[in-house]
Amino acid sequence: MDLKTLCETQGVSGREEPVRRMVYQECVKAFGMDAVTFDGLGSVLAVRAAKKPGKPRVMLAAHMDEVGLLIVSATDDGLLRFRAIGGIDARVLVSKRVRVGYDTPEKPSLQGVIGAMAIHQQTPEDRKAVLPIDQLYIDIGAKDKAEAEKLAPAGTLVTFDTPFTPFGENCLLAKALDDRAGVYNLLRLLDAPYDGELIFAFTSLEENGCRGATAAGYRVQPDIALVLETTSANDLGETPEALQVCRVGEGVCVSFMDGTSIGDAELYRALLAVAKEKRIPCQVKQFVSGGNDAGALQRSGAGSRTIALSIPCRNLHSPATVCSLTDVDAQEALTRACLITL
Amino acid sequence: MVRRVVKQGGGTPIRKAQIAGFSRATVSANVALSRLDEYNRPVVFGKTTPADSAAQPSDIRAVRAIGDPTGKEGVTDMDILTYLQEASTQFGPSGHEYAIAEWYKKRFEPLCDTVTIDPLFNVLATLKPTVKPARGGHAPRILLCAHMDEIALMVADILKDGSLRMGNVGGVDPRILPAATVTVHGHTVAGKPAPLCGVVGAKAPHLLNDEEQKQNYKREDLYVDLGLPVEKVKKLVHVGDLITLNGRTVGLQNGRAAGKTMDDRACIGVMLEAAERLQKMQHASEIVFACTAQEEVGIRGAKTAAFNVDPDLAVIMDVSHAPIPASRPDTTVPLDAPAATYGPRIQYKLLARLLDTAKQHGIALNTEQAESYTGTDTDAVQIGRAGIPCVLIDLPLKYMHTTVELLDTNALRECGRLVAHFTAEIDEGWDDELWI
Repeated sequence: MDLKTLCETQGVSGREEPVRRMVYQECVKAFGMDAVTFDGLGSVLAVRAAKKPGKPRVMLAAHMDEVGLLIVSATDDGLLRFRAIGGIDARVLVSKRVRVGYDTPEKPSLQGVIGAMAIHQQTPEDRKAVLPIDQLYIDIGAKDKAEAEKLAPAGTLVTFDTPFTPFGENCLLAKALDDRAGVYNLLRLLDAPYDGELIFAFTSLEENGCRGATAAGYRVQPDIALVLETTSANDLGETPEALQVCRVGEGVCVSFMDGTSIGDAELYRALLAVAKEKRIPCQVKQFVSGGNDAGALQRSGAGSRTIALSIPCRNLHSPATVCSLTDVDAQEALTRACLITL
Repeated sequence: MVRRVVKQGGGTPIRKAQIAGFSRATVSANVALSRLDEYNRPVVFGKTTPADSAAQPSDIRAVRAIGDPTGKEGVTDMDILTYLQEASTQFGPSGHEYAIAEWYKKRFEPLCDTVTIDPLFNVLATLKPTVKPARGGHAPRILLCAHMDEIALMVADILKDGSLRMGNVGGVDPRILPAATVTVHGHTVAGKPAPLCGVVGAKAPHLLNDEEQKQNYKREDLYVDLGLPVEKVKKLVHVGDLITLNGRTVGLQNGRAAGKTMDDRACIGVMLEAAERLQKMQHASEIVFACTAQEEVGIRGAKTAAFNVDPDLAVIMDVSHAPIPASRPDTTVPLDAPAATYGPRIQYKLLARLLDTAKQHGIALNTEQAESYTGTDTDAVQIGRAGIPCVLIDLPLKYMHTTVELLDTNALRECGRLVAHFTAEIDEGWDDELWI
């Protein structure tokens, strides 16, 4: 499964089925039908049996869902009102293209755009104020309310419409690199050398409060969980170094601590040591911010030892997320190398 | 006056027809057909859309709009959506219209008798009269104007981390920039063009205080990310290099379309539509289609275009605002039909004639006011030479100066039909009662 297909597939939190189908098929191909299950919240759990006893049970996790928009109603003139699913800054939405509904063989998604008042007609106050999401609309070209409601009824999901584009030096521009890049690496790791029991968890609902991981952690109760994630990089535009969080292209980012958990100290030291020994590009997260499945897995059920390995990603939760292939590969390499030492 | 005369024809097979002693070019049938094939590619739904860049045209839904409501006049061969899509990928920021001028020259050559480009890169395409003037005297000359330049940005600074600060070329709204993709038009030391894909990033939310969180980003807070180390950036990018916005043109429901540079290349589409219709119509006037330059930076190209053409009257076409939920009263016109402007810069008798033409041919035409300036080429053309009577036709669109400018392709077609009839019906004596 290539990263382009994964990024361009639609899968907003709670409705991850297009991604889930792909992931399920890949896991079944690798381990057989009996080893792959769905949990109560739609996470895909693929279990690889232990080859030797006495090794810790390790979970590798990445989330399938992406941030998106949810249609709630239509205006009289046929525009679609929406709400955000996941943390989307309203400032990134104006003048962007979106896909309304999911693509199916019978019915394609609809093209939509998010417009706003022309600069010519804005008052000085308009120019300053952020347009909140309840004042933004998706325009699919519908003529009136009835047509809009027929084409995109309330509950229709919307994803960004950004073609996967390699650019610059080793860089990628796409929607939903958070966390399809992690899903991509998790699929590459299905054959990772490890003698203990290995559980691959493709979680749902991360952007809605890490709920999928909470349930998956309870079901699996791993000894150790490694979370393959993306994290916000703010390394451009003259941001002071200490506030950049991490830098794109300088390797996988290991979290000492973020907004929801403190990385397991032993795992943290082990990861940095392995990276150094194997010369895998690696950096430390410089700023305590964000949160991810590691927090949920750490405290689900009886608890697990967790740490997040993140790909630095610019413009997180926007239509144009950017990361480096160097860092994608480093995440995979460091996870693989770390497993052998456990 | 320096006018660079460019050869006519450009390799396109043309058929010369002798009508009433005047020669004119018409598009041969096979050219039109082969173009149709190319335009009417089937839509592939659910497939991956191509990259958001100027180099790759995307799959489209071919919209075949109905021309006149009665259908008697048929439709032209031009596929509007394909035209809009191709036009929007042409490079042409204000003051840098050299590439798009050549492109438009080629578009007008099969439809016109001569096409020239003036020193400001205005494209002037002339259609000679097909019949003698009514009284055998002076054949009126009509200037049709729509601007081809696009709003853009420029590189204002290269930062230590390799990102770029931006300056403005025309009125780019900073609200559309966060997470927008752009093309930075860099070049090598040898001067070879090196267009680079860029993404606009913003100061991170955790660096903004509560007050800043509530405000829009200013252009100074934003930067272009090229995904390149600073030393490579410095080899290819220079302060002053142009940055254009990306955004492919997409077909929507009901024959509507959204994309960049609809302002005002949609109106050049109106001129192409009119030119194609005029191939089959008789007209006593000389008709000059002007794709003007530098409108977005102060209506500059239209000034020299009006001087060079020296017309008796002018029809200006530009885009206008269609209603959105936040619109204030009396600032918009409906999306689904063209509109005519009234006000001090519009010749009132010509306007009356335009409204009458629309009525006679069953073309819906709304009206709107411009109580002071019009913000279009009209403002310059009206005071060209010894004064030129003008009418202004607006094509309404939503979300002007964004990359999702949204219009109705049926309105565009109807606008072309209106312009064709209006110009074809102007004959000697058109100004007999212009001022009394």
